[in-house]
Amino acid sequence: MFRHNTLRYGALVLLAAGALAHAFTAGYFGLEILTEILILAILVLALDMVAGFGGMVSLCHGALMGVGAYAFALLSTKAGISVPLSMVAAVAITGAGAWVIGTVCARSHGIYFIMATLAFGQMAYSYVFEAPIFGGDDGLGGISRPDLSLVGIDLDDSRSFALFCLAALALVYGAAVITLRSGLGRSLSGVMHNAQRMRALGLTVWRVKADVFGVSGMIAGLAGVLAAQHSMYISPGLLNWTVSGEALVVVILGGLGTLVGPLVGAAAFVVLKHEVSALTSYWHLVVGGILIAVVLSRANGIFGWVEARWGAKLDRRLADTTRGTEAQEVTGDA
Amino acid sequence: MDLGFWTLQALNALQLSMLLFLLSIGLTVIFGLMHFVNLAHGSLYALGAYFGASLAAAGGYWTGFFLAPVAVMAVGLVLYTLLIRRMRKSGPMAQVLVTFGLIFALLDLTRIVWGDLGLPMNAPDILSGRVAFLGIEYPAYRLFVVALGLGVFAALAYVLSRTQIGAMIRAGVDNDAMAACLGINVERLFFIVFCVGCALAGLAGTVAAPLLSVTPDMGLHILIPTLIVIVIGGLGSLKGAIAGSLIYGFVQTFGAVLAPQLASMLIYGLLAAVLVIKPAGLFPAKG
Amino acid sequence: MKRALLAGIGLATSLAVTTASADEIKVGMLLPYSGVYAALGGEIETGFNIALETFGGDTDATFTLVSEDTEVKPPVALGKAKKLILQDKVDVMVGIVSSGVLGAVRDMVDGAGVPLVVANAGNDEATGAACSPYITRMSFSNQQVNRPMGGWMKEQGINKVFTLAPDYAAGRQMIDAFTASFTAAGGEVVGQEFTPFQKTQDFGPYLAQAKASGADAVYVFYAGGEAISFVKQYDSFGLKADMPLYGSGFLTSPLYVNAEGPAAEGVITALHYVPTIDSPENAAFVAAFKAKTDRMPSEFAVQGYDAARALIEATKAGATDRASLANALRQVSFAGPRGATSIDPATNNIVQPIYVYQTVADEGGLTQKVLATLPAERDPANGCDMAPVAN
Repeated sequence: MFRHNTLRYGALVLLAAGALAHAFTAGYFGLEILTEILILAILVLALDMVAGFGGMVSLCHGALMGVGAYAFALLSTKAGISVPLSMVAAVAITGAGAWVIGTVCARSHGIYFIMATLAFGQMAYSYVFEAPIFGGDDGLGGISRPDLSLVGIDLDDSRSFALFCLAALALVYGAAVITLRSGLGRSLSGVMHNAQRMRALGLTVWRVKADVFGVSGMIAGLAGVLAAQHSMYISPGLLNWTVSGEALVVVILGGLGTLVGPLVGAAAFVVLKHEVSALTSYWHLVVGGILIAVVLSRANGIFGWVEARWGAKLDRRLADTTRGTEAQEVTGDA
Repeated sequence: MDLGFWTLQALNALQLSMLLFLLSIGLTVIFGLMHFVNLAHGSLYALGAYFGASLAAAGGYWTGFFLAPVAVMAVGLVLYTLLIRRMRKSGPMAQVLVTFGLIFALLDLTRIVWGDLGLPMNAPDILSGRVAFLGIEYPAYRLFVVALGLGVFAALAYVLSRTQIGAMIRAGVDNDAMAACLGINVERLFFIVFCVGCALAGLAGTVAAPLLSVTPDMGLHILIPTLIVIVIGGLGSLKGAIAGSLIYGFVQTFGAVLAPQLASMLIYGLLAAVLVIKPAGLFPAKG
Repeated sequence: MKRALLAGIGLATSLAVTTASADEIKVGMLLPYSGVYAALGGEIETGFNIALETFGGDTDATFTLVSEDTEVKPPVALGKAKKLILQDKVDVMVGIVSSGVLGAVRDMVDGAGVPLVVANAGNDEATGAACSPYITRMSFSNQQVNRPMGGWMKEQGINKVFTLAPDYAAGRQMIDAFTASFTAAGGEVVGQEFTPFQKTQDFGPYLAQAKASGADAVYVFYAGGEAISFVKQYDSFGLKADMPLYGSGFLTSPLYVNAEGPAAEGVITALHYVPTIDSPENAAFVAAFKAKTDRMPSEFAVQGYDAARALIEATKAGATDRASLANALRQVSFAGPRGATSIDPATNNIVQPIYVYQTVADEGGLTQKVLATLPAERDPANGCDMAPVAN
């Protein structure tokens, strides 16, 4: 179950404003970073859906993103299918694949679930790396972006593409919220807290897990499609488990189970990586140290910490000023 | 292909299994006992190789062999006191994150201390030849690895089943709260187990160094195979570790020979199959 | 549409650049500075800087360097390339270690009209079907390094060979080039295996197969950590006595041959550069490199060195901006540490002799004894169709 509170709305507004401002003032490289953040944000949103709200920690979301990217690339460049149709097909294919993985892994829990998803992710990686149709280590190039010239937008322009990704992120965020607030989302919440009880109530637990995993997969697939369009080139490295690991890091850095937190995490992580690697070639050390510090602090990531400290106060203050004419929001729900 | 060829491959499989066993036994008991997911175990293995190479360059192979595990155990001690002890009660996600961060940090620390280039380490002279038997000639050093692995297995089996501390460990794995109620100092047990696990990882690294190469990313390469081994075998048990190692070693080796195109996917397929049929692995410590 | 746009951007920025001093050349170094390939990136840059110090005085142009870390990840490299081209407005880019990264940036570089001097990536297509008038390669192509060994090994009396290489594009290209020339010379490849790339640490199973194949010799391509493991394991199985080991020179590169130890002794490989080449140009290079780093240079260092040299030669010919640099780089020719070094304008690939050498031990460690110098050959066009050089 997912609820918005004042702090979350505020954060969303700030993030959107920041993104728009950056899109219109930044130089070329700034736009590159923005697009990178937006695509990563879509991926980690997908991951938070299953990990934060479903308790299913997945190490295959990077691979799902890669599947979306490769499906799109193959359909649009080799099978000659139009770009918009390829995009839809790629998202659907990834969603279907994720649904299957969710079904197969539904019986596992905790570390076993993580390992099972890792296994599937690595299987996909090995297959894509070795099958000649995917171009192997040299990758696939010649990918093109959608043609929006009918509405007067040229997506080859960096700024337009960044805004396109922002729109996609907004769409995906909405879809995630709707899913989590629907019956499916509520069932998922129940499953995360006590699957046994849900079974006793007559719910088909594996179905719930698989369905949510499928939706999450579709979102990850969209991230992959956009990533392919951004670089106009893809390589198997997209599917490696370290990509999934980084996505997990971002989610936890931002705040697990808050949906807004991972967006913050994505921005923070990308900016941090770029700033640190400009200073030293040992940026792994710095990033690793920061991660350890964040986790040791026992906060639920950056946004989780902010929410814990100020979320309650903010809502109370707002509730006071409206003198009880509106229903009081419950805070810190995750 | 004659009998000699198959004997050769079987020995290759056994040697790979024993190397993985040395790594996985530490990790599986740490998980089984402490419920702690230590993704940085591969990085400790890499540290063992680096310490081993440096010590061997200074004082010969056996200096490295005996002192490198001690050095890694010291590193483990520091990590435990500063980090692991605080994380023990956290859930798997926090542990995954902290040890993931540790992988990053240790990777660059290795680069800073030892540089980016590969380090040399050679097998000791008495083990650099080949042994002839059953119609084939097999490198003596690889036989040493097999013997070492089997020796460690035997020693651990003895300790776990015949000594008091072994009984305490098994009790802790089964139910640490109950064991604590019975007066077992579970905290100290965790500490000992963690240090021994680190020492074994360091030993695996030192032993592997003459066979493979000592490069900064060796920890990352061995991590996935180790995780696969313990998940297939079942967490927390010695039997699981040896079973998982043998299965992985043989599937990987004979897969490479019989179906090279499928070899990489084969082991992951096997992992997925085991997880579907027996979600807790083949021989888990509990249930 | 996309190309026109990028070309437009390139034109606009190059016009903007000419307001600065025409003799200031801004060079974007696109190399891996972190991660597994950091050693190679560092080596190439060291060679590049040494050449700038040595030959910089020959030209009026001054060079300012901007470095970006590719992390050997194509999307990251592409972003950094865009930054160098669009934000830093570099006149020329140098670097690229991995062929995957080259594939990713190729279209961008070609569309924006920015010259790129490739200092490592050996993918055959980059100077074949995917060639570009803006991309010149000062390192090597995968086929170039392996082709001559086929004929040479047959001449030595080897008739049956078993090949091994990692299963990825470069591995296959290297072995295919060798196989083609070896069979054309009358030899027979009795077995061929490709090992999972970067996932194989234990070559035992494959070595056993090689032994069972009855070949006279084994020809392999491995690089980096895999090369170290392979050479050591080959020796531990005692195969060298009956089946000598040959391969592409990356197997025993001076950069890491010492990690292989005595196992590397006797291995014969072919490469476009070894530090023991006997020439005054090489002696000068080796001395300068040793003074800076206290060890012998590798082929990666000379690739960086020659890339800088090519750039300097291009400015001496009067090139000052992107278009003229691209044009001049295609015609570069000089005597370098590798011998007579030049670019073939038909493919923009380097033309250089190939050295067959044996790794031997001497007081300082392992060194390379040159057995034969095979003459320079141009690579076939392989689908490259470019406009000839404008003079």
